[in-house]
Amino acid sequence: MVAILLLLIVPLARAESGQALIENSASFDGKTVTFTGEVIGVLMRDNYAWVNILDNEVAIGVWCSAEDARKVTVIGDYRHGGDTVEAIGTFRMADPEQGGDLDIRADNFTVVAVGQELSRSPSLPLVTFSVVLMIVAIFVAIFLRHIRKEKERIVPWPFH
Amino acid sequence: MALRKFSILAFLKKNFDFITGVLGEIGLTVLIMGAALAICLLLVFVKSVI
Amino acid sequence: MMGGILLLPIIVAVIYREIDTIPFFLIGASLAFILGSLLNHFLETKKEMELKHAVVMVAVGWLLAPVLASIPIWLSNATASYLHASFESLSGFTGTGLTVATDIDHLSHSINFLRHFLQFVGDGIGIIVVSLSILGKTKISSVLAFKGEAKELGIRPSIVRTSRIIIGIAITFLIVGTILFAAAGIKEGLNPGTAIFDGLNHSMTGYATGGFSTRSQNLLFYHSVWVEVAAIVTMIIGALNFNLHYAILGGKRKEILKNIEVRILFFSLLALGFLVSANLIFSNLYTSPDSLFRKGIFHVISGQTTTGFQTAPPQHFMLLWPVFSMIVISIAMILGGCANSTSGGIKMVRIGILFKSIVREVRQTLLPRSAVVRGTFHNIEDTPITDTMIKGAAVIAMGYIVLFTFGTMITVAHGYSVESSMFETSSALGNVGLSSGITSPSMPFVVEVTYMFLMWAGKLEIIAVLVLMGFIILGLRKGIKK
Repeated sequence: MVAILLLLIVPLARAESGQALIENSASFDGKTVTFTGEVIGVLMRDNYAWVNILDNEVAIGVWCSAEDARKVTVIGDYRHGGDTVEAIGTFRMADPEQGGDLDIRADNFTVVAVGQELSRSPSLPLVTFSVVLMIVAIFVAIFLRHIRKEKERIVPWPFH
Repeated sequence: MALRKFSILAFLKKNFDFITGVLGEIGLTVLIMGAALAICLLLVFVKSVI
Repeated sequence: MMGGILLLPIIVAVIYREIDTIPFFLIGASLAFILGSLLNHFLETKKEMELKHAVVMVAVGWLLAPVLASIPIWLSNATASYLHASFESLSGFTGTGLTVATDIDHLSHSINFLRHFLQFVGDGIGIIVVSLSILGKTKISSVLAFKGEAKELGIRPSIVRTSRIIIGIAITFLIVGTILFAAAGIKEGLNPGTAIFDGLNHSMTGYATGGFSTRSQNLLFYHSVWVEVAAIVTMIIGALNFNLHYAILGGKRKEILKNIEVRILFFSLLALGFLVSANLIFSNLYTSPDSLFRKGIFHVISGQTTTGFQTAPPQHFMLLWPVFSMIVISIAMILGGCANSTSGGIKMVRIGILFKSIVREVRQTLLPRSAVVRGTFHNIEDTPITDTMIKGAAVIAMGYIVLFTFGTMITVAHGYSVESSMFETSSALGNVGLSSGITSPSMPFVVEVTYMFLMWAGKLEIIAVLVLMGFIILGLRKGIKK
């Protein structure tokens, strides 16, 4: 019973979307937010680090401790889906301590899911088509050059 | 060793204008940035006074 | 030549083992070779080429090249549709930098390289210049095509030699920029491989004043004043006249401060930077000196050099930045950089000519009738201001204003605010790339096509586009008469 009451009193942390944070920056400024997304970049800065997190086309930089940043094992790129992390901290639309950057100063940083490799195998039909087309291109170039040379031989310039 | 030093010097002498030109252009950008930063500092000072 | 450009990213694909992307480039290059061979065969003529033909050829070439380059971009699913791929490609070639690519952070290195390389070759150097350098033909047609690409350089008597010098200058500053960006990246926590790749790409687009980035957050990804400083160095250098580069690198160091365009650029950047920074600090948006520099000054420089690097989310321009600052940056984007540089906009020399002509007119009015007022300006050498020059500058400026008004009205008609419409239109027309969020994969079709036209017209400084239209109309009239 007490537990249920406590749950009702303590506000549930709901992750804000990147889009919502960017478009409503003024209203979120200075407030504690929860931001979840894929890690697309980690930049270590001595005892701290920037972790850039992507949430559905919108990326936000999270300023956290180097220890927290080291929890990230997979960074998202062409071949990898990065770790999914959850950062809880203070949102700043123009952080004066970070040159006016939009950021989240994380108090809490958790890896929710480890990233994985993405399958990027070549498409056989496309490979075949590309090779055939290249051969056609070479053939067309040589053939037209041959016609031009024949034309010049039969009817020398300037009588074309 | 003496020969290697000589060729570096010769290279620098030969391309002196080119190298100083590149540095000069970078210097111009630094000058612009310096002037811009001075403007920012001035504005912050003015705001603090007002 | 387009075929060759589209084969180069295969080297990047091999380095990063992105074998699945190689067919995209092979297909694009093959189509380019086929089209080039057919055009060369069926359109070749021994007739004398006139300036109008060269201008039309350049205008059409600048449409065909992006169409071909869009093929690998579309095949790689970097964009949601072929129209978006064409937009991206045209934005690359014209050095604009407005992007509709989806999921940039997961793009392959090879496709990302292509996007940046298009800006370096298309805008940083110029596709006609590259062709002349490689093909090495010095005929009257080459000279005319060179002029048609809005290049009025007289560096050396031979147009081929001039073209090769332009490439040499571009490669020099590409190397300098790469070193600066990579060093900044490594210092700020990137691993060396990433720092060098990002550094090379940002150097290409910084020098080309293009503005594409390897990251969806643009330069905000790095949260680094050193990366931004490296960007400012490459942007300003890219905005300087090629003639000036040649003079300075050849020993005429005094030209750095004597040149009229440098003086106007210097004054303009500081004046507009002051206005924007003052507006930002008194709006309480950015209040510390470093944030004023990294947001206010940075975006003025990015706008005026027509680069488009951003360190603030695009939506912030529309939703948070004061309107006055957006208008000032729009003006900066229209003014542009120096003539014969990689920048867009009306250009500093024209602004200087128009300003001096106003001064001359006022003085002429105040002095006795018999007095003759001569005006000169120093651009490598002292040049008298002639009525032809004033007319030329005024025509281009008028063209920009007309297209700016047209673009703004089209955008406003689709429900966007006036200041955002002005901002985005001046960005497209001046080939800048700063965005307030209007340019996106979900932008309206008409707005997207309008901006494509504006990017193309702005790149060719409007005249070539108007000549092409006139050429078509004349051709149709002749056809109807027959």
